Order: sequence, then structure tokens, then C-alpha cells
Amino acid sequence: MGLAQWWKTLLTPSRRGLLLSARDDADGRHYAVGYRLDGRQVFATQVDQRCHAVVEHPQLPLALFVARRPGTQSYLVDVCNGRLLQTLTARPDRHFQGHGVVHASGEWLYTTENDTSDPGRGVIGVYRFNDGRLIPHGELSSHGIGPHELAWMPDGETLVVANGGIRTEAESRVGMNLDAMAPSLVLMSRDGQQLSKETLAQSMNSIRHLAIASDGTVLTCQQFMGDTATTAPLLAIKRPGEAFQRFTVSDEQWRRMAHYSASVAVHDGLRLVALTAPRANRFFLWDLDSGAIRLEVTLPDCAGVAAVEHGFVVSSGQGRCRLFDCRRGTPIATPLSLPAGFWDNHLHL
Amino acid sequence: MFRPSLLLTSLAALVLGACSPQDRQAATSAAIAQQVILPTYSRWLEADRQLAISAQAYCQGTANLDTARADFLYAQRAWAQLQPLLIGPLAEGNTTWQVQFWPDKKNLVGRQVEQLVSADTAIDATSLAKASVVVQGLSAYEYILFDARLDLADANQKARYCPLLVAIGEHQKTLAETILTQWNSQQGMLWQMSHFPNPRYADAHEAIADLLRAQVTALDTLKKKLGTPLGRQSKGVAQPLQAEAWRSQASLHTLAASLNAAQTVWAGVDGKGLRSLLSSDQQALAARIDAAYTVALQTLSEHPQPLAEQLASGQGRQSLETLYDQLNTLHRLHEGELAKALGIALGFNANDGD
Repeated sequence: MGLAQWWKTLLTPSRRGLLLSARDDADGRHYAVGYRLDGRQVFATQVDQRCHAVVEHPQLPLALFVARRPGTQSYLVDVCNGRLLQTLTARPDRHFQGHGVVHASGEWLYTTENDTSDPGRGVIGVYRFNDGRLIPHGELSSHGIGPHELAWMPDGETLVVANGGIRTEAESRVGMNLDAMAPSLVLMSRDGQQLSKETLAQSMNSIRHLAIASDGTVLTCQQFMGDTATTAPLLAIKRPGEAFQRFTVSDEQWRRMAHYSASVAVHDGLRLVALTAPRANRFFLWDLDSGAIRLEVTLPDCAGVAAVEHGFVVSSGQGRCRLFDCRRGTPIATPLSLPAGFWDNHLHL
Repeated sequence: MFRPSLLLTSLAALVLGACSPQDRQAATSAAIAQQVILPTYSRWLEADRQLAISAQAYCQGTANLDTARADFLYAQRAWAQLQPLLIGPLAEGNTTWQVQFWPDKKNLVGRQVEQLVSADTAIDATSLAKASVVVQGLSAYEYILFDARLDLADANQKARYCPLLVAIGEHQKTLAETILTQWNSQQGMLWQMSHFPNPRYADAHEAIADLLRAQVTALDTLKKKLGTPLGRQSKGVAQPLQAEAWRSQASLHTLAASLNAAQTVWAGVDGKGLRSLLSSDQQALAARIDAAYTVALQTLSEHPQPLAEQLASGQGRQSLETLYDQLNTLHRLHEGELAKALGIALGFNANDGD
């Protein structure tokens, strides 16, 4: 890091406790927002396309609000004041899939994308930060179909990709291959080489979202596209050195998730895993190591979840955001003084 | 973006003093819970208690089939009235599947009842509680009392199905008792709809949102209940056997019961329904929703013939199509304009997540 950059980092107000998320208003307009957990709005920047996840730059006060599929615009925003610094447009025959990561060097951005000339072919777009702007650099294969979330392993060099397994076309959200889905969990080096590729038992169980623990445990959450009467594991785990497998949850509990999960998060200090199931209006917490259930509560349209010092913050498309303090046996929920409802799928803290 | 509305809300709170929007929402939530929901749940429990007694009486030969059917229709109606009020314990964990299994595209109800009564194991409420939800509820009960292939006048046949009939009656009664206890218990559902914040609702607005969500879901389901037999999902080919309650020919009665209950949540008792939350400049919307309920209920009352009969005639189909359009209008008004007027986001992530 150069001296000037170091100075800029030093002068940046603390980013801890800054909640970043995509949000709508009642009229359906889209925003990139930043709020303090005490409810203070830092910024709400209107954007053309609806966003999904948010990626923060490791050093600079920048965040990329990534377009929700099949969006073609992601927005680079100054998180101090919400100024829109750059609209990153997808390359021809590509659209964003909602997620991205920045390398610890602060130099490289990787995003999941769809090759619409061969619908569903998974692409990892590679972009380079150049003087605070993102420049397309190249692309890699996601080694699967319909990649959704991607994340770093703790080494910061190995990418984990949740290939959802569903083919979609340009400007469309309609799955074309529900009878021949091929979801997979791929580990790859950031030069593009596939290191492993694993699957779950049911091909209609779309692997969508990821959480990586500091010990390298990978958690994935799924959305099941099959029959309502079938039971499907919506949470799966790959512990270090072990095979990718379903998390230990009773069939009854799987059925209470309505076949749909929105986000998964892990708390390293407390060794907890959190899952949101907005169609079931339910929020779940388990002990990461024993698999014991710690909490199952009603939380209408809950979707975004992120770990904070003492537990998790959960957002909702319908109601208030909650802080779950998980230090004691039964987690305690406190509503946050943030505006209620219209919080989109993910939150970043 | 969000600031102006926050500012307006705060100003309104200052001007109105004790009558802040939150207070009004809390009063409305409490009123709907106390005056609409709880009485409906209580009627449901009573109907299920009667159902349990009725099954026993019929099977012991002290009541005839007509009485048994009438008690069933009453229970089915009580259940239909609950559907726009499905919030809280009954709405969670797929519990409603235990009450009714619909849609039933593959006749699972008929097939599983036959499997169960053909097996060697004895059937009682305890064993039924562990069986498939398909055979636990009113749909299986209806099959036994109404399916044309069964001849309950035959003593052997009656003896074959009676243990299941009695077990379902008991199961429904126990389920209703459990749910009502969860409503009435200390800090239970009734309390949670009247005291804010609580572990379920951070504020009254969340309770109102939950009520509206249940309304919208119920109205959407009514569309499906009519649209499926009308052939809306099957290229216009009528599917009378896909209707809810087709065996008892009560499809339109249950639909009317649900619609009436939805209207009560909207209008309220003593005017304390969702309607009362609309401000003076939103009265045009309120009038349109009033009118939408009125015309749909009118169509139902003007065409009392059973659904199957109406499906079989051109004129009947025409009035069912009209009813469908009227339900659609009602659904859209709730989902769109009413939700917006009340500042409620419905199913933002549930219906349109990623």
C-alpha cells in the first residue's frame, strides 16, 4: 500500500457497524444504502438496477453493490457519503449474478456471471482496480452452471463457488433446465484452476449461498426447485478435510423452511451458523460443531444476515431488522432502529 | 429517500399526540385479534369438538349419516373461515396440512385412506398422529362420508372406516385445542397482537403487516381454488375433481365462508378493521375495496348451484369466470394499493428473492 493510500485509510471514519445493503422504497425504486446500527442513515443512493450483495474493498472506503441477476450494472459507491463513483457495466453477452469478492490485495474483483451466448455457462469475471476504478481484465470458468455466490477460503487465494445449476437466458430469471439441473460446490484457485467439485444428492437442490468459517469450514444454503412433498436439505457443510454433506437437521425442520433459504452466515467466535428462510418467515441458528439447534423463530420475510460481535443482525423485507445477542443459552432479539421493510436479500457488515 | 417519510411520520406523531400511527395500529391489531380472530378460532374449536362427538355417535349408530355429514360441513366451514386469519401457531410448520390436504392432484387422499384401512394395524388418534398428514384431516373425513365408491349403509364397510373417522375427529379436536391454548396462554398469540414490542412483533406495524399478508395469501388461494377447477392451469379444460371439497359439493360454500371472513378482517367489528387504518385521503381506495367485496359476495349468492353443476354449463362457467375476475380484483387491491397505503412490503424476499 502506498503512503497516500495508507493516509486515506487512516482518515476513513470507522467502518465497523456500517450496514450496507440494497433496499427498495415503497414505489419500487432501488437504492444502495449504508446505515449505522443505531439507525443513522449514512447514505441512500438511488440506482437504476436492483442490487443483491455488497462487496467491500479491504482498504479503501469503497463498496460495490452487485447487480441482481440478470442485471448488467454494478455500482461502486463511496461508503463515507454514498457518492456513486462508477457504474460497472457487464461485458457483451454477460450479466451479473449478484455476488462478487475483492482480493485481499485490494487490486482484483471477481464476480459471478452468466454467459448468455451459451446460457447458464458459469463465468467468473475478473476486474482490476485502477486508481479507484474497475477495469475489465479477463474471465475464468466457474466450472459449473449458473454460479451464484462466491467467497474466499481463509487463505484468501482459493475461491469457493456455489454453482446454482440453473440455466437462464439474457434478461430472464426463468430456469430452463429444471429437469436437468446440475448444482455444484467448486473450489478453485484464483488463476482459474478447479481444485474440487462436489454435489449434493438431489439435483433440484440449487446451491446458492455461502458462508466460510475462519477454520475453512464451508457452509452452503440451498433453494429446492422440486416437489413440495419432497424433503430437501437446505443447509450443507464441508468441514476441513471432509466431504460436502447435508447439515444435521431433522426432516421436520427441513419441511418448515418452505424449500427456500435466502442467506447463510457464520459466527467464528461463537461457532454458530445462521439461516434465513423468508418463504417460511423463519430464522434458524445452530451450533456449528454439534449441529444442535439454538433458535428457530418467526421473522417475516427475513433474508439478510451477518455476524456482529455478540451475534447476528438479520434484515427483513417486511418488518424491522433485529439484532440477536447469542452470548447466552437462548439468543435474545432486539429490534433495531432502522427503517422497516424493503431490505433486499443480503446485508453486509 | 426514506427521510421525508420518516419526517412525516414523526410530525404526524407529534401532531396527533397519543393517537400516533403506531397507537392506531396497535389498537387495530388488538381489536382484530380480540373481535375477529379469537371468536373464529373458538368456533373452529367448537366445530371440531362437535365433529369428534359426531364421529363417535355415527359409528355407535346413535346418529345417522345425514347428521354426520352436517357436522362435517359445519367443521369444514369453520376451517374455511379461519383461512384469511392464518397467522401465528396454526400458520407455522405446515400445521394446516393436518387440517386439510388440498390441492390433491393425484388423489392421495383416496389412495392413502384405502391403504390405511386395508392395513392390519389398529387405527386410533395416537397412531393417526404419526401417520401421513394426508389422512389426518378433513379431506380424509370428507372422502369417507361422501365418496361415491363407499357404501356406508353396508355394516362391514362402515366398520372398516369408522376407526379412522373417529380418530380424525379426535385429532382435529386435539389440534384445535392446542392451537387455541397457544392463542390464549400467557404472552400467547392474543397477547402478542395487543402488547408491543414482543418476541414476535417488534411493533404494531409488523402485526398489521402479518394480518395483511394472511389476507393476501388467502385471497390468492381462493383464486387458485376457483381457477384450478375452471381449468386455468390446464389450458381451459375444466377439472371439477381438482376443486376443494368437491366430494361434499361444498366448494363454493367454503369459498364464500373464507371470503366473508376476509371481509370481516377488512371492515372489522365496530369498524375496527384494516379499513380504519386508511386516512381521509385514502377513502377512495377504501370504497373500491368495499365494492370489490360486495360484488364478489353478490355473484356467489346469486349463483348458489354447486360448482360441478356450474362448470358443466356455459352460463355457469361464465358466472364462475366473472367471480374469478372479481376475486382477482380484490386480491390485486390488497396486494398492491392497500399494502402501499399501509406502508407494507409483502413478500419482498419470499416472492422475489434470489
